[in-house]
Amino acid sequence: MPEEFLVAQDLHKSFSADKAVDGVSFTIHTGEIFGLLGPNGAGKTTTIRMLSTVLEPDRGDATIGGHSIRRDADAARKLIGVCPQELALYQDLSALANMIFFGRMVGLTGKEVRVQAMAHLELVGLTEKAKSKVGKFSGGMKRRINLAIALMGHPELLFLDEPTVGIDPQSRNNIYQTIEDLRDKGITILYTTHYMEEADRLCDRVAIMDGGKIIAMDTPHQLRSRIGSPETVTLEDVFLKLTGRNLRD
Amino acid sequence: MRALVIAFREVRTYLQDTADLAFSLLLPIAIFTLMYAAFGGQLLFQGTAHVVNEDPEGIYSTLFLERLRGIENLEVKLLSSKEAEERLDRSDLLLVLRVPKGFSNRLASGDPAELILSQRGDAGQEGQIVVSLVRAVAEEMGEEFKVREQVARALAGRNISQERTETVLQKFMDRERANPILGVQEELVGTRPDPVNMFLPGIITMFVLFAITLNARTLLEERREGTLERLLTTQLTVGELFTGKFLAGLARGFLQTLILLSLSQVAFHLFTPLTFAEILIVALIFAAAVSALGLVIASVARTEDGAIWIAVFFTMVMVMLGGTFFSISQGSPLYPLSRISINTYANDAFKAIIAGEGSLTHLRRELGIMAGIIIGGLGVGRVFFRIMPGGR
Repeated sequence: MPEEFLVAQDLHKSFSADKAVDGVSFTIHTGEIFGLLGPNGAGKTTTIRMLSTVLEPDRGDATIGGHSIRRDADAARKLIGVCPQELALYQDLSALANMIFFGRMVGLTGKEVRVQAMAHLELVGLTEKAKSKVGKFSGGMKRRINLAIALMGHPELLFLDEPTVGIDPQSRNNIYQTIEDLRDKGITILYTTHYMEEADRLCDRVAIMDGGKIIAMDTPHQLRSRIGSPETVTLEDVFLKLTGRNLRD
Repeated sequence: MRALVIAFREVRTYLQDTADLAFSLLLPIAIFTLMYAAFGGQLLFQGTAHVVNEDPEGIYSTLFLERLRGIENLEVKLLSSKEAEERLDRSDLLLVLRVPKGFSNRLASGDPAELILSQRGDAGQEGQIVVSLVRAVAEEMGEEFKVREQVARALAGRNISQERTETVLQKFMDRERANPILGVQEELVGTRPDPVNMFLPGIITMFVLFAITLNARTLLEERREGTLERLLTTQLTVGELFTGKFLAGLARGFLQTLILLSLSQVAFHLFTPLTFAEILIVALIFAAAVSALGLVIASVARTEDGAIWIAVFFTMVMVMLGGTFFSISQGSPLYPLSRISINTYANDAFKAIIAGEGSLTHLRRELGIMAGIIIGGLGVGRVFFRIMPGGR
C-alpha cells in the first residue's frame, strides 16, 4: 500500500453564511491521481484553494507530505504545484519568461530554471512558441502553458483545477498525455473536472462532492458498479444519479 | 532575490507600456511647459491702468500720466470714455481712471482737482494695487503743489522771478525724488519667485504621486488575473511579495523623477553635481513613500476601480494641499491642512535644494516625515493585506 501523501481531515470553509466546504475528509496516496468531481458550486475549487494554502480552513486541517497546511504551510508549499482554473499568466511576457518567472518563485535558480522551463515547454508542445507572448496564444496553448508552469520545480503533488476546460481536442489530448506521463513518474495529482470521461480515463479514485460535502468516493469502476454493470454504466450516469438532474448555477 | 524578480518584471512592463510612459513623462513636461509659458518667467506684479484722459492737452494731466508710466510693472492704456463705459458695464474692466476735463487748469490756478476712479465691485486684486499706485502718484504731486505754494508764499515780495523759482524748485524736487529723505529699502528674504522653482517641484511630485494609481493597481490586477493566487502557492513569502511590489513602485517613481530632473538640468542648469545628488536622494525617499502608500491602497481596495478611485481622491487632496500650483503661507487657514500632505514635504525639500537654501542636513524634518510614511505605509499595508479577504 503506497503511503498517504495528502490527508484532508474535516475541512470546513464558509463565506458569510454560505458553507462552501462542509466537513470534507479524504486521503490521496503517493503516485495516485485523485479526481474531485461535482457540479458548479460543489466546493471543489474551495477545497483545492485550502489545500494549496491560499485559503485558511475555518476548521479542520490537512497534511501534505506530513506537513500541516495550517501550522507548516511553508513546508507544504514546497511540495506542491498548482494549475488553477483561471489562466494565471502574465500576458505581456513570453511563454519562456512566464516559466522562468514562476520557476524563480518556486526557488529555482541559475541554469536549472531555464533547463526546466524548456523541458516543460517541450512536454506541453510549446517549444516553438517559447519566445512568443502569451497574450497572443490560443485558449488551448494558454491552458498548456498554465499546466507547464505548475510543473516548475518538480512538485510532488499537483493540483489541477479543471485544466482542460474550454479547449480544442488536440490540446486536451496533449494535456491528458502530459498527466499520464506525470503519473508514470510517480507524481501525486488532485484533479477536478466537469468531464466525466476524463475522470474515468485518468483518475485512480474519485470523490463526488455536492453542497460542500463528499457524497461518494471510490474508484471509477466501483462507482459505476454501484448503479449497474460497470461496462455499460458511465461515470456521468453515476454523477447525475448522485447529484440529481436539477440545473445548478 | 524573489522580490527583485517581481520588481524587475514590473519595471520592465512599465517601460514597455507606452501609455504609462507618456503619462508619467511627457505629460509633466507638457504641463510644466504650459505653466512656464503662461507665466512668462515673471511672477512679480504686472498691472495695467486703464485711463480716460479728458484733459489731453493739459500740462498736469500729461505730467501725471508720465509719472504713472514711470512705475515699474505698470502699463498705462488710454481709452475713450465710451469704450471705458462699455467695458466696465460688461465687467471686461474692473477699474478705470478718469482725468477730468479742466484738471490741469484747476491745478494751475491753485484750485483743488480730483482724479476719478470708477471701479466695479472691489476692482479685483490688480485693480486695488493700481488704485494704490495712482493714489501714491497723486499724493506725490499734491505734496509738490503744497511745496510750490509754500515757497511762493515765502518768496512773495522778494525780487525773484517766478521762472527762476520754478527752475530751482524743480531741481530740488528732482533731486528729492532721486534720493528721498525717507526711502524704502527692499530686502530679499529667500529667493526671488522663479517659475522653475515655483512649479517644477510641484509638477514632478504630482506626477510621481499619480503613479500611486499604478502601484495600487498592480496587486489588484494580479488578483484579477489569478497570478496573485498562483504566487501565493509558491515559495514566495508575503514579505517578499510586498518588498517586490514596493521596490517596483520605488524604481518607477525614481526613474520618472530622474528623467524629469535630468531634463530640467539640461534646460535650466539648476544644479551643481552635489545638489543634483542631493535632490536625487530626496526623490528616492519620496518615490519610496509613494510606493508604500500605493501598497496601502492596493491592500485595502477590493477591485481595480476601487483602487483607482481611492488613489485619485488621495492624490488630488495631496496635490491641492501640497502647494503644487500655489504656495500656502503660514497665515493661511489651509496651512495646518497642508501639513498632512506628503507633497508639502517633498515640494519643500525640492524647492530648498533648487533654490540653494538648504542641503540634506537642513531637510531632516522633511526627510524624516517621508521616511516615517515609508515605514508606516509598509506596516499598515501588510496588516490590511493580512486581514482583508483573499489576503494572507
